Amino acid sequence: MGIIKWAFWITIWTIVAAFFHYTLPQVDIVRITDTYEKRIDFGENSIFWSNADVGNNNTLGNRDVFFIQTRRAKGDVMVYRNEDTGWGWPPYFKFDTTNLQAEASDLKSGSGAPQYVALKHYGWRNEFMSIFPNAISVRLVAGPDVSKGIPFLNIIILTLFAAFVYAIWVRWRRFREQRIDPTLERIEDDFAERQGRFSRWIASWKK
Amino acid sequence: MLALLQLIVVGFVVLTVIFIGLSMYSRRIRRGKLRQKWRSGPRLVDMDSFVQRGLKRYDSSIRRKLIWGVYIVPVVLVVLIIYLTNFS
Repeated sequence: MGIIKWAFWITIWTIVAAFFHYTLPQVDIVRITDTYEKRIDFGENSIFWSNADVGNNNTLGNRDVFFIQTRRAKGDVMVYRNEDTGWGWPPYFKFDTTNLQAEASDLKSGSGAPQYVALKHYGWRNEFMSIFPNAISVRLVAGPDVSKGIPFLNIIILTLFAAFVYAIWVRWRRFREQRIDPTLERIEDDFAERQGRFSRWIASWKK
Repeated sequence: MLALLQLIVVGFVVLTVIFIGLSMYSRRIRRGKLRQKWRSGPRLVDMDSFVQRGLKRYDSSIRRKLIWGVYIVPVVLVVLIIYLTNFS
C-alpha cells in the first residue's frame, strides 16, 4: 500500500513540476545566428505547437512557423519557434510574433562580432519530438556573462501555488482527523473485536 | 475572434461561480459574527432583527463591494500582461 501511495504522489508532483517547467517563462542569454520560417505539418507533436497568428485561419493542418536560431552563451545551440499564443494557453497573450521576428532579425550577429540578447521563452526543446520553446521577447544585453535577473514572476506564481496547495492540504487533514479517522478506527476496533471472537471460537475447537 | 470569445465566455462562467460562492461564504461568515456579537452584547433587540439590521449594513459596505475584485483583478491582469508582452 505504501509503495502505491508513494508512486502515486511522485507521479502527480512530477506532472505538476513538468507543467510549471514548461509553462513558466525562462531567460536565456543567446546570440541570434539566423531567423527563418519553415512550413510545419503538425502531427503527434501538435500539442506542443501554438496557434496561427490571431485572426488567421486556425483549422489548417499546416502553416509556416517563424524560427529563431541561436547559440547560447554556454556554447550549445538552441532553436526557438516564434508563434502567437493569442487568447489561448499558456496565458502570455502574445500577438506580436511578426514584430518579434523583425526585432530578432535586427539583432543577428556572427561569431566574429558577437552581440548577445536576453531571450525570454517558455517550453521545451526536444529533438525526439521536434518541439521547440516559444520565444516571448528579446532584449539586447551587454555580454554573455550578464545576470538573467531575478525571476520575480515565477517566484510569485510558485509561492501562490504553494499557498493554495497548503490551504487545501490543511483543510483535508483537518477533515480527515475529524470525520474519517474516527470512523475508520471504529471499523478497525469492531473488526478486531470480531476477529478476537472468531479466533477464540477457533481456539475453542482446538481443545 | 473565436478564441477571444471562448476566453471571455469560459472566464465569465468560472469567475461567476467564484463570485457567487465567495458572496455566499462571506455573508454566512458575517451572519455568524453578528450572532456572536448579539450573544455577547446587551441584547436590546431580538436576535433576528439584530442580524437582519447588521446584514443590511453589510450589503451596502465597502467589504461586500470588494468581492467585485473577482472580476476586476483578472481583467486588469490580462490587460497588463498584453501590454507587457506586446508593447514594452
